[in-house]
Amino acid sequence: MLTVQNLYASYGAITALHGVSLEVAEGEIVALLGINGAGKSTTLKSITGVLRPVRGSITFLGEEIANKSPESTVKKGISLVPEGRDIFGSLTVEENLRLGAFANRDRARYKTDLDEMFQLFPILKERFHQAGGLLSGGEQQMLAIARALMSRPKLLMLDEPSLGLSPTMTDQIFELISGLHERGTTILLVEQNAERALEIVDRAYLLTTGSLEFSGTPDELRRKVDIASVYFGGEDDDHCEVQL
Amino acid sequence: MRLPEKISALLKRRSTLFLLLVPLIAVGFVLQAVGTPLILNIYTYFCVNLMIVLALQMFMGNSGILAWTHVAWVGIGAYASGILSMAPMVKSLGVPNMYPHLVELQLPVVPAILLGGVVAAIVAAIIGWPLMRLSNAVGVITLFATLIVVHVVMTQWDNVTNGPRTFFGLQEFTRLPQALVGAILVLLLAHWYRESSLGLRLRAARDDRFAAMAIGVSVVQVRYVAFVLSALIAGIGGGVWAHFITSFSPKAFYITETFLLLTMLVIGGQGSISGAFTGTALVTVAREVLRQVESGMNNSGMFSFEVYGLTELVMAVLMVIVLIWRPSGIIGGQEITWPLLKRKNRPDDGPGTDVVEPA
Repeated sequence: MLTVQNLYASYGAITALHGVSLEVAEGEIVALLGINGAGKSTTLKSITGVLRPVRGSITFLGEEIANKSPESTVKKGISLVPEGRDIFGSLTVEENLRLGAFANRDRARYKTDLDEMFQLFPILKERFHQAGGLLSGGEQQMLAIARALMSRPKLLMLDEPSLGLSPTMTDQIFELISGLHERGTTILLVEQNAERALEIVDRAYLLTTGSLEFSGTPDELRRKVDIASVYFGGEDDDHCEVQL
Repeated sequence: MRLPEKISALLKRRSTLFLLLVPLIAVGFVLQAVGTPLILNIYTYFCVNLMIVLALQMFMGNSGILAWTHVAWVGIGAYASGILSMAPMVKSLGVPNMYPHLVELQLPVVPAILLGGVVAAIVAAIIGWPLMRLSNAVGVITLFATLIVVHVVMTQWDNVTNGPRTFFGLQEFTRLPQALVGAILVLLLAHWYRESSLGLRLRAARDDRFAAMAIGVSVVQVRYVAFVLSALIAGIGGGVWAHFITSFSPKAFYITETFLLLTMLVIGGQGSISGAFTGTALVTVAREVLRQVESGMNNSGMFSFEVYGLTELVMAVLMVIVLIWRPSGIIGGQEITWPLLKRKNRPDDGPGTDVVEPA
């Protein structure tokens, strides 16, 4: 469904990605793991078109989308839930959801989708007319996910959905993500919480300082990479060495 | 009995609109029946200002960009509509060097006012094309510079504006009924725009530009549309104002006026139509009261010196106090709705309030 090949991206003089390649097949749930600054969010930003990649190709459903505007990637069916629960704080829950659906003007479809969101997230129905900024952290995260789902994405990308949430809330969010996957949504998940992510994904990629370190199933990853050392630093200088 | 249900549903859904329109129209009718000429004048002036402030809200309130150029569109609309509506005889008297083909033009007042708005919108469309790409301080400074440019053109182009001298001789077309109709139409338009998909996307971009981009909002495009639309309405408002005041000079479209319009918008709350409405009403009343006090003080000889600028000073202090007390204005960023008690749903000091911020 999504193929990224040899992607280079930079912020001014600093190159953040050095030739990353990855693939997501239809119906899959794939994790993109790595420490801060490894280039996970940069990869997502390049895919949506918020950041223009320097080099490399991104194809979605057989179509080249590198250097396309964010508007057109959303219309093609890629939806991003940005890091830090980027909802619109002064807009109501209703308005946030309406924004998610603005690409599809069909009134009937909007109603159906809204009902579906209320089933998935009953709390949003209660808070329908409240400003998004008044919601709790977990509720805001749910709103951000619901907003992304309102555009009926073919591929849903989540950037650190558990960041800053309480353990119970994190459990709920992960449960929700696997629920969405079971319903057939294709998901690309970026997480710092590698252990939790590996429990629910089909495959995972590990990024270090802008390049791909490893890719494979969660079992392979657990066997071959000392995950704790990736995040906390091992005794070696090269602290995320792959043990073959 | 389907019809009453439908009406009550409409009232509920559009309660903000009714809460604002009913007093606006009712006061208009009462004053028309019983008001003294002075009171009628003040209310007409309020209606004209309401048109201009609502136009400002359409762009500035929804985009969060401090719109320095707004009063320039008002000025362009005022001059353009005046030139279009005045009789050739009057024009050649008032503006001796005017281009001959401009002197020959004459249209009825209403089309002249509408065309004045179109002229302002065209200028805004040309200037806004590069400017709407800029954000933050850069965007605000360039808009301010644009105001200076327009002002210099107005004071120097004496073949069109009579230079820094007074431009006079307009027909006194605007009276309370005309101004009231104008204010009602602009109120409906501003409300429709705020709730429309375009306005919603613009407000999203104001809250968080990058998040808006990530969900597929073209920030430059929605800003540009708002900028041109706001200029169109401001230009029409300028034309209505010009045919009320009947003589003016470029001074009327500069910093002092800008400050007045900004006060009207910001005191009430720039994020909402209700806020713009409340602010305009409050400032109009406060200004008239202060002006009476000021002239009373000067005439009574209470002080050995004359008190000038008291009105402006008190207005400025009032604005500071309101903004400290309620940074997002008296009404705030959310519209008032019926029933009035749902106030706890407003994000007053929470994250994401409408802070006056050059986004």
